[in-house]
Amino acid sequence: MKKPLPPYWISLALLIAALLASVAIGSVTIPPVVLVNLLVARLGGSGLPTPESLQPFSTILFSLRLPRTALIALGGAALSCSGAAYQGLFRNPLADPYLIGVASGAGLGAVIAMSVRWSYTATGLLAVPLSAFAGALLTVFIVYQLARVRRVVPITNLILAGVAVSSFATALTSFWMINATGEVRRALVWLLGGAAMSGWQPVLAVLPYIILGTVILLTLGHALNVLQFGEEQAKQLGIESDRIRLAIVIAASLATAAAVSFAGLIGFVGLIVPHSVRLLWGVDHRRLLPLSILNGAAFLLLADVLARTIMAPQEIPVGIITALVGAPFFLWLLHRAKQQLLW
Amino acid sequence: MKQFRAISIALIVCLLLTACAPILTAQPADSPIIVTDGLNRQVTLPAAAQKIVSLAPSNTEILYAIGAGSQIIGRDDFSNFPSQALELPSVGGSMSNYNLEEITRLEPDLVLAGGINTPEQVKALEDLGITVFFLANPVDLEDLFENLQTVALLTGQESEAEALVASLRQRVNAVESALEGVTERPSVFYELDGSDPARPWTAGPGSFTDYLITLAGGENIAAGLSGEWAQISQEELILQDPHIILLGDAAYGVTVEQVAARPGWDTLQAVRQQRVYPFDDDLVSRPGPRLVDGLVALARIFHPDLAGDLE
Repeated sequence: MKKPLPPYWISLALLIAALLASVAIGSVTIPPVVLVNLLVARLGGSGLPTPESLQPFSTILFSLRLPRTALIALGGAALSCSGAAYQGLFRNPLADPYLIGVASGAGLGAVIAMSVRWSYTATGLLAVPLSAFAGALLTVFIVYQLARVRRVVPITNLILAGVAVSSFATALTSFWMINATGEVRRALVWLLGGAAMSGWQPVLAVLPYIILGTVILLTLGHALNVLQFGEEQAKQLGIESDRIRLAIVIAASLATAAAVSFAGLIGFVGLIVPHSVRLLWGVDHRRLLPLSILNGAAFLLLADVLARTIMAPQEIPVGIITALVGAPFFLWLLHRAKQQLLW
Repeated sequence: MKQFRAISIALIVCLLLTACAPILTAQPADSPIIVTDGLNRQVTLPAAAQKIVSLAPSNTEILYAIGAGSQIIGRDDFSNFPSQALELPSVGGSMSNYNLEEITRLEPDLVLAGGINTPEQVKALEDLGITVFFLANPVDLEDLFENLQTVALLTGQESEAEALVASLRQRVNAVESALEGVTERPSVFYELDGSDPARPWTAGPGSFTDYLITLAGGENIAAGLSGEWAQISQEELILQDPHIILLGDAAYGVTVEQVAARPGWDTLQAVRQQRVYPFDDDLVSRPGPRLVDGLVALARIFHPDLAGDLE
């Protein structure tokens, strides 16, 4: 019997293909030869100045496409890793990284910041992502406090508090948008997951939080496996479920808040990527989490390529693509798995 | 021989003149143009901009109106006036998303951003090494004229803009003097989007539409709502019973007949007295030179007896 290809290699190959596609495909066509030459010249550090005629291509490649590719890849990785961890923690297939308030809090923060006319200063320009990030973390903190019964935080309480606070924050967001002047369209685009940025500043800003969050989650794979047997058993096996729960909530919230702060609320990635990985390669969290990171990055990159090209030169919010393409793909996967009686 | 000399002199004079001409016109272009924009940024151009990308329909209209149309190399999706603008490549702009790659590829020497753009968008372009000027929305017509002159300064069209502003001012004055003796100000409902006839969207305080309705001798019934774009309830509409209804959504296919057929709308006096008019919303919503056209059009509808023959 032929041994199937190891999942890591498949995922890595997919990610590399997605990275290449994201760098190579855009609304402006850069000839492949030019693309390779520019990359080699920059990476090789040949120090040769870019010829005048290639200057626009060089700017497009190094100030637009590469940083965007990095930001999208990081966002996809953070969202699917957090989603996988939440599904494991809540033992609920419907859990996604936005379950306990990150998205609604970030949305409220962003919309409030958008309604203010900021001055053209460093703080003013970063007001929206900063406010989204703060709103997300604050909301999760409130949910966690509300769900707490003395010293324990029951899972059911956490979900219910999350749903209630999320609805409240979403309602506030809508109310704010209706009363705000002028910025409705911008807010809508942000809430659908699409925001254009250039340069490396956003990437550098989110990098520490996403790395911190995903690394913490990666170390908790074993604990998540044990938690699947229920909290009593976990306790007998030496897993302190309270502390694990807090660690997962903090790590996932940090990574998710950072991911959405610049890119907007990209839906569905945190739901379908981990489930697809589960359907394809099993439920062991020690493998599920890293595979979700690789495939989440790849999936969001490919969705972003579609978002940039499907209606070119117009760009559509990537959140629309993730749901539009992701949902049918996921249903197909589910259907296939049913036929094989794996689910 | 004499003839030859005359020709030579003529030739030399010609040569001198052609040699002088560019020097004379190039003189002001030698010194850099420095202007502070609507975000309090100091924008420096080495010379009048010749390759301009416009990010807003109002900016495109301003550029064409001051004679800088041939200096535009790109426009946003919504720039559809004048019709020549449609032939220019579009750089996006729908859903607040501009195609930064396309803008970079066009290598503009100036991107003219407008009030619909965000500081972040300006920053993103600036980070790409592109010169951006943010033209803030005017608050009144005098402010608009100032904007026209600012854009003229950036594009080297000062004299053309001066003539334009003079003629626009004259038309505004004509409206004002025609309406001098107005005592009866008709109440006006301006519909932006009536897809939900029970709660149509209208132009509230702070919008150009509201400003121009007042200036044209009308009274906007939505002046008391909050927000530039606001939904008004049909109940409030019936209570206010406006004299005139303007259909700013006529471009989307809303007709006078449809309005009359809406349940409950037949009781409105504007409908009964057939004072419902389709209106070109671009004339009152785009902060460009056509605002004056909008003002005149409104005045003619509100006060046909006083302003009916204004141009």
